[in-house]
Amino acid sequence: MRWRHPVLAGLISALIALTAAAEEAGISVRDAWVRETPPGMTMTAGYMVLQNKTSRPHVLVAASSSGFETVTIHRSIAKQGMTGMEHAPQIELLPNASLLFAPGGYHLMLSNPKRALHAGDRVDITLKFRGGLALPVTYEVRK
Amino acid sequence: MVKKISLKFIVMMTAVALAAMLCGAWLAAVYRESGSRAIFLPDRVMTLLPDPKPLAAFAFTDHENREFGLSRLNGKWSFLFFGYTHCPDICPTTLATLARVRENIAKGAAGAKDVQFVFISVDPNRDTAGKLRQYVTYFDASFLGVTGDDAQLGNLAGELGAAYQVEVKPGMESYPVYHTAAVFLVDPRARYHAVFAPPFDAEGISRRFEVLRALEGPKAT
Repeated sequence: MRWRHPVLAGLISALIALTAAAEEAGISVRDAWVRETPPGMTMTAGYMVLQNKTSRPHVLVAASSSGFETVTIHRSIAKQGMTGMEHAPQIELLPNASLLFAPGGYHLMLSNPKRALHAGDRVDITLKFRGGLALPVTYEVRK
Repeated sequence: MVKKISLKFIVMMTAVALAAMLCGAWLAAVYRESGSRAIFLPDRVMTLLPDPKPLAAFAFTDHENREFGLSRLNGKWSFLFFGYTHCPDICPTTLATLARVRENIAKGAAGAKDVQFVFISVDPNRDTAGKLRQYVTYFDASFLGVTGDDAQLGNLAGELGAAYQVEVKPGMESYPVYHTAAVFLVDPRARYHAVFAPPFDAEGISRRFEVLRALEGPKAT
């Protein structure tokens, strides 16, 4: 498709950009927190409520942070009467739905923090969705 | 090192559940209204063993590098929890809850002097005494961290109907660990007395424990 009218072309691209921004605004996070690490410990977890206020499903595929060596999306599971964890390579976030990341369920597994985390600190983690959408989130460190 | 005693666990738990159902005495709940007596009700939080089960001897080492054997369970109510310090979700959540349980019990009239909380690491490969000390005392200064070799861990876990599995792979710094999420209660005569099932709620556990201790008090010590 060729747009001969530059004004119309400009309007269309502005509209697309706006849509993308709106989409981004449609996914939000509340109650984001990371558990304080006991002294000398290298593992902790991040929790949140992930909300999709759009009318389309979104798929969370990864998370990253410069504050940790690795960030992995995990889920605590029951296996033969025991508890363990499994990697969740992708999590579908249904339209107009919320997904709870909470102790005993989905969590961001955070390993080898670059500095010790104390209650009240803030940690930035970027959530990545299929299609390239990236959502930066600030997590509060809590005991 | 791969430890798997899940079949034993299932058989054991089934036996415990059946026995408890037959006896019809699942759980202690007490109504303290005037004129009422203690009654037993089914309960999802705490399951009492119909017959408290004496534990066999074991040899662990605690976070101060002291021996931790059966005699350390005598004279105190012990809350036992299996886990590992590299556990990011379940273990810190449970230990934080147990710290509140202890706080509640300590605030009560009978206090917490006859109560101890023992974190049993199933990952002795990474959990040295030093690591365990840093870890457990962070949650509560009185908490104990213990571990032992696979045979010792396996024996105690088997007696409690607990299970664990450590999938150590050579050269791997991180590896999967599975463990029973329940909290076990051993009475002051070193008998397995009750088990608490997750999800845990500090008030739910401490209230039931205080009732049980009051009922068992003279018998148990």
